[in-house]
Amino acid sequence: MSAWRVVAAKELRETLRDRRTLLMMVVIPVLLYPVLLIVMEQLLLFGQRNLEAEPAPVAVVGQSAPALIEILEREDGLRLVEIGEDPEAAVRADSVGAVALLGEAEPGDGTRPVTLLYDAASDRSNRARGELTAALRAWGDSALGDRLDARGLPRTFAEPVAIADSSIARPDEVGGYALGRILPLLLVVITLLGAFYPAIDLAAGEKERGTLETLLTAPVPPRAVVAGKFVTVALIGVIAAGLNLGSMILTFQTGALQLTAAIGLEVSLPWSAVLAIFVTLVPLAVLFGAVFLGIAVGASSFKEAQNALTPVYMVVLVPAMLPAFPGIDFGPGLALTPVAGVAFFFRDLMTGEADAALGALVLVSTTLYALAALAFAARAFGNERVLFGGGEAEVDARAVGPLAWLRARRGALGVPSSSAVLLFVSFVAVAFFWVGIRLQVSLGESGLLAAEWLLLLTPAVAFVVFGGFDPVRTLSLRRPTRTGVAGGMILIAGAMPLVWVLGWLQTFVLPVPWEMLEGLEQLVTADSAGRLAWLLLLLAVTPALCEEAVFRGVLLGGTGEAEPWRRVVLNGVVFGLFHLSFETVIRFLPTATLGMVIAWAVLRTGSIWVGVLMHFLNNGAIVVLASTPGVREYFSDPEAPPPLWLVPVAAVLVWAGARVLQRPAAAAGADTSNSSHDP
Amino acid sequence: MIRFSSLTKRYGPLTAVRELSLEVRPGEVYALLGPNGAGKTTALRCLATLLHPSAGTASVAGVDVTADPVGARRNLAFLAASMGLYERLSARELITYFGRLHGMDEARLSGRVDDLVDLFGIRGFADRLCGRLSTGQRQRVSLARALVHDPPALILDEPTLGLDILSGRTIYDFIARERAAGKAILFSTHQMEEVDLLADRVGVLGGGVLVAEGTAEQLMQRTGAPNLARAFLALVAGAADR
Repeated sequence: MSAWRVVAAKELRETLRDRRTLLMMVVIPVLLYPVLLIVMEQLLLFGQRNLEAEPAPVAVVGQSAPALIEILEREDGLRLVEIGEDPEAAVRADSVGAVALLGEAEPGDGTRPVTLLYDAASDRSNRARGELTAALRAWGDSALGDRLDARGLPRTFAEPVAIADSSIARPDEVGGYALGRILPLLLVVITLLGAFYPAIDLAAGEKERGTLETLLTAPVPPRAVVAGKFVTVALIGVIAAGLNLGSMILTFQTGALQLTAAIGLEVSLPWSAVLAIFVTLVPLAVLFGAVFLGIAVGASSFKEAQNALTPVYMVVLVPAMLPAFPGIDFGPGLALTPVAGVAFFFRDLMTGEADAALGALVLVSTTLYALAALAFAARAFGNERVLFGGGEAEVDARAVGPLAWLRARRGALGVPSSSAVLLFVSFVAVAFFWVGIRLQVSLGESGLLAAEWLLLLTPAVAFVVFGGFDPVRTLSLRRPTRTGVAGGMILIAGAMPLVWVLGWLQTFVLPVPWEMLEGLEQLVTADSAGRLAWLLLLLAVTPALCEEAVFRGVLLGGTGEAEPWRRVVLNGVVFGLFHLSFETVIRFLPTATLGMVIAWAVLRTGSIWVGVLMHFLNNGAIVVLASTPGVREYFSDPEAPPPLWLVPVAAVLVWAGARVLQRPAAAAGADTSNSSHDP
Repeated sequence: MIRFSSLTKRYGPLTAVRELSLEVRPGEVYALLGPNGAGKTTALRCLATLLHPSAGTASVAGVDVTADPVGARRNLAFLAASMGLYERLSARELITYFGRLHGMDEARLSGRVDDLVDLFGIRGFADRLCGRLSTGQRQRVSLARALVHDPPALILDEPTLGLDILSGRTIYDFIARERAAGKAILFSTHQMEEVDLLADRVGVLGGGVLVAEGTAEQLMQRTGAPNLARAFLALVAGAADR
């Protein structure tokens, strides 16, 4: 038997002996969700019947209306009650559900104003309001009929158009539509949960129990170990999802749900659709299994892996929920989006509107993502740092106290290690998010200024000073050459328009947060010279110094062990994430791209001052352009396409800037890998 | 049989093991001593192919651990304090699983498992899940697991950590028996009495560097200490001063 099969057979045997996995794989998908659905439906029906069991107490206050009273007394669902002088208190006290406050009728054929007093936060009051509204409408119709009769007009006179609904959807199509809103999310979640615990157990659990060391000293290549584990995790995910699919369909199709039957919903999913769903679930389970394994193996314990995977779980829920929202059409863009494509394809299969080409796109793209995730997991299993850490035990044993810990992470060249730097950047980001936002809310623009200087620049300087790191090497504090400065300026001049184009292209797939953009536009627009100077200090000089110190300084300086391209990408991504908020998702890609461009320039020149200059030019240009009447309109609408001629010009500038920066004369007497040419 | 040649292991800026050179011959027991964080586990993990040396190399039975890690693993058994047992496999299933991972054919494996079950007195609980075994029983199963492919070299990382005297005794007997069978045994420990009892030679690691090597008597003579524990403290203190 080949090694991966030996591993898979053992993992499967062991996993099937784990009660927690069996619970996730069988009990929850087969029993819990259908039972929960039925119980919830029964509770809903019980509550509804309970509410309707007794007539709703209502009252009428104000001008007398005998005809209305007569209608109210006739209605079975209503009970007319007497209330005191304070109708609002009576509603609050729940002695009456809703009160009609009758105003004085206008003379002749005028309108009589009626105000309905009710408690929108009370089920009983809402129901009473519904019943009372129907009675008032009947009263109004009756009055209208009397008026028409008095003038000898037919009843149809007041109803020139009669509207009647007639849906062309068959009951099974309506059923599929309803099913398509809920089931995709449930299927994705069950597949995910099915793979969740086995992945943690087979990776982090194995590390925690100390069995991974033993396993990896067997003469088996890591890829066979990961293949065996991965097959187990994916298989359990597929089984869990398949069982859930079968169980849910049986629940709906056997009429176990009275509510669906009562409202005329029919759920009958064709076997071809069920098969297509199942086939699509396989690469999805593979994707989840591989991603979870790759992440979980980096954790040192079951609990740590749970903590690491929970955010992934949350992130996956967002695309899986999309089909439940109205107005989102399934197209190639969504088909290529991980998880969302699968969820939308499931929805369309259930509604009977699935497109075979889109389905194929989903299947192929999910398979490709799954293979990439598998490569990631295999790489993680072959990475000793991931498996056994980065020697933290040795470092910690030789260093006592936070400063000693930090200084123990100082390399031979006096720069911090990547673990220390990432910890620092995380700390700065958290502090900036919590404290910085409060400063901005309470102090406005001055708060933003204070946040940048106090929460970015000051910690960066303190980190370097107290960590005992070499400030020149860590922060790239070298004097730039003229070539380096010229190259940086040309590069940013080309990068800015390209980033603008990138932002515009994004608007085709991401929603534009108009309110946020309006606020931003107001912030960067100056209407006087004094205001312009202040904005340049606040939005150009300050970020150029403070943010560069953190990102192109500490972060870039402390990741010198990695290959240059990884440092650049990591720098841009972290820079983009730092600028991220719920409203500003649209800013991520442009900001991350700018971050990468500046990081590359700093790496090439060895001087943070080139980065400071590029950052200043970028932000300063935005402020100046936004404050220039006539030019502002060009940029105010992110959905408006940038001038096409700008693209080749910008591309030439980027190419020229890159060429200049690649010249040896661009380097500030320093290298790009922290190893030679230091001043 | 076991050889370290100027092996260095770095974790980023930290050098956990520096220029380590030592040799363990067949039928020899070598004890690696050192305070926490001295680099013992890192050195043993490099030898067991779990970590990749930053410089230098190590070999087991003439097989270079960097050039042919899978080949090196065929010639060694690695035993850690955690024992490395799967809680939801029975003792017999566990030993069989590792035999299969070592590529043993089923007929040979079945016989070997039976032999080991008898050798370590496992028969009474061979079909019980490992998670339900006592510490002493688990210890015996982990030893049987390590020997299933009968390797010529044994690497034991603090094998008696957390064990009572009786369970520790099982380890001592095991080491003595395997030494008599001509195997090269390298183990790390903090227990000086273990070293006195079992080790033919001792290496002392301090700050990732092999600061002294020799028999227990030689180390005591060198430091002028009355016993190995004091000799160890003197050597480690000397390493820290440097």
